[in-house]
Amino acid sequence: MDGFLMQQYQATPIGDRMSNHGSKMAKIIMQPGVDVMAKAGAMVAYKGLIDFNPNPPSMSGIIKSFATGEGVQLMQATGQGELYVADYGKEVVVMQLSNEALSVNGPNILAFENTLQWGIERVKDVKMAFSGMGMFNVVLRGQGWVALTSRGTPAVLDTREAPTFVDTDALVAFTEGLQITPRRTAKFSSLIPGRGSGEAFQLGFQGQGFVVVQPAEDASSKFSVRG
Amino acid sequence: MATEFSRGQKSPLSNLTPGTDLYIGVKIDGPGSWDISCFGLDEADKLSDDDYFIFFNQPKSPEESIQLLGAQSGDTESFRLTLDKVPDKIRKLSICAASEDATAGQITSGWFRIVVGGEEVAKFSFSGSDFAAERAVIIGDVYMKSVWRVAAVGQGFAGGLADLIRSYGGEVADDEPAPPPANTGFAPPPGGPAPAPPNTGFAPPPGGPAPAPPPQPAPPFGAPPGGPAPAPPQQAPPMPAPAAGGAVDLTKVPAGGYSDTPTQYQPTPPGAMNSLEQYKEKPTTGRYTQQSSKMIKVTLGAEVLTRKGSMVAYQGNIEFDHKGSGGLKKMLENKMTGQGLSMMICKGEGEVFLAEDATDLHIVELNGRTININANNILCMDATLSVETKRMESAGLPGGGFFHIEVTGQGTVVVMTHGTPMTIPVAGPTSTDVNATVAWSAGMRVSVSNQVRVQRNLYAGQSAEAGCLDFMGMGESFVVVQPYEV
Repeated sequence: MDGFLMQQYQATPIGDRMSNHGSKMAKIIMQPGVDVMAKAGAMVAYKGLIDFNPNPPSMSGIIKSFATGEGVQLMQATGQGELYVADYGKEVVVMQLSNEALSVNGPNILAFENTLQWGIERVKDVKMAFSGMGMFNVVLRGQGWVALTSRGTPAVLDTREAPTFVDTDALVAFTEGLQITPRRTAKFSSLIPGRGSGEAFQLGFQGQGFVVVQPAEDASSKFSVRG
Repeated sequence: MATEFSRGQKSPLSNLTPGTDLYIGVKIDGPGSWDISCFGLDEADKLSDDDYFIFFNQPKSPEESIQLLGAQSGDTESFRLTLDKVPDKIRKLSICAASEDATAGQITSGWFRIVVGGEEVAKFSFSGSDFAAERAVIIGDVYMKSVWRVAAVGQGFAGGLADLIRSYGGEVADDEPAPPPANTGFAPPPGGPAPAPPNTGFAPPPGGPAPAPPPQPAPPFGAPPGGPAPAPPQQAPPMPAPAAGGAVDLTKVPAGGYSDTPTQYQPTPPGAMNSLEQYKEKPTTGRYTQQSSKMIKVTLGAEVLTRKGSMVAYQGNIEFDHKGSGGLKKMLENKMTGQGLSMMICKGEGEVFLAEDATDLHIVELNGRTININANNILCMDATLSVETKRMESAGLPGGGFFHIEVTGQGTVVVMTHGTPMTIPVAGPTSTDVNATVAWSAGMRVSVSNQVRVQRNLYAGQSAEAGCLDFMGMGESFVVVQPYEV
């Protein structure tokens, strides 16, 4: 019992500012000056003095639009210590951006450092049937750590070799700046109930970069109506 | 008529054959096992690109100009070299052999031959008397010096593969002393591949009984200790100051405190790709490739039937079409029970990535056998397989019936399970929960029963238990269950 609790699952030694504890939890080393934005409610434990602010006044505008656009709320964590975050047992992927830009599907964001420039952006080139509809992603730019979630082990596909078409429900993140072309595979016969292929619409990505997909298709739609 | 080469002899390729699509065969007879590989070297005779180290773990170069073909026609190992496609930066293709359990002096006989269009055009025979106690040998070269030329080399390396690599790369040897003392206890990040011997990226452990180098996926040539670990210690940039402070403290932590965790802090280099390396697309190993336990890559040519909506991504020109399954009556049945299998056809050229609800996926080669699969557990299958939808009826079953699919033929079916499944050999009577049953072998007597007598409704419309499947079989019969009841 003692060994089980104390050794096997003891906190991993201090290392990178963000790292994995197991495959489903992210460990974040907090320090003054580098605040962390995390999915609201994702905190499972922390050590040290850490304050959580669910709605920092400076960001309320952005967050409100985030909330309406993507249905994800962020909280700001400030302080010093260790912070552990997780999201309902999803796999956690931690990476360090180095002057790169990543466009992430909102619900797949777990945490990121405030040193990154970030904002909600409409994915260009994706035009839906109705005006006012679109796909909104969180775009992270610059230098800093990011933790993403994925339902099941994700796959990273190289978009340099060939245009990669992705089911929007399985899309986690992609390099900002890729050329995006929507593709419809729905046919007229799909209009007959029960005759569709279930795959009506994909996004094609091409260029220098990669796209991350998860092995599950989240039921919640990534397309939202904005007034 | 084949030209006989002697050791050290060289000749322009055009004197032997006008062809540039070569089959290279190497035979080595003698004790021990020999791994034969091909190094694609640059102008300076260095292996500057890992992609051009062709060996059993990396059987071809990116543009497929060098391919490893395996043993055939009396050759221990064979290659196909398509010289016209070899990129300009590769100037020399060196065929080498290495062994850990034998020396070159023990070779009883061997040859290196070039075959073009089914005709042997050059042959270099050698035997152990040409060598001594070397464990690695450069057998022959095909190299570019204004024109393509062939050389019979026969040069041994006493230090084995590691020595050979040093002669080609230099980086291995040069970088060796470079890591600071702090790195001597290098441990890969948790979940990384097993640590390699610290002296080379992929040389087998000295004196190890294994006939082949460690089965690491395509180890980068001349890689730092730890092979494909994402953090090469020599190249790691200065770590962020606060983290460095942590690393210093760490050395004071007693090692026994963390039995399974690395005791040395290894900074992850910046750049998204460094962390994502482990999730990259796996090399194709056939029609069906396991990308991860939860995702399958299908290389299309022939059509594949897949569950509707299971496509997560694809590369190439691929179409998805509804697959009708048995007319209006079946459709109605499906609608009523919700158990029917809704499939679509994937056709075209390219690669499709399939996954469903983060379930574990299992590639099952049928090889003519028959298997029964719960309709809820089929992800995809070859369209050439013959498929029959069957239904078991009983009052105890949800919806009054239980659909399963009988699949027969030559081909592959991918089964999905929630969690790690269990295969139970059916020797005596075996019962499984209907909802947890994934698949079972053909030729068993299957009946439905209601083992649990008490029936109560926990929630409206949901009964506390469902029916059981009773299996009676013998021999090789089995039933597979998953730790999840749909």
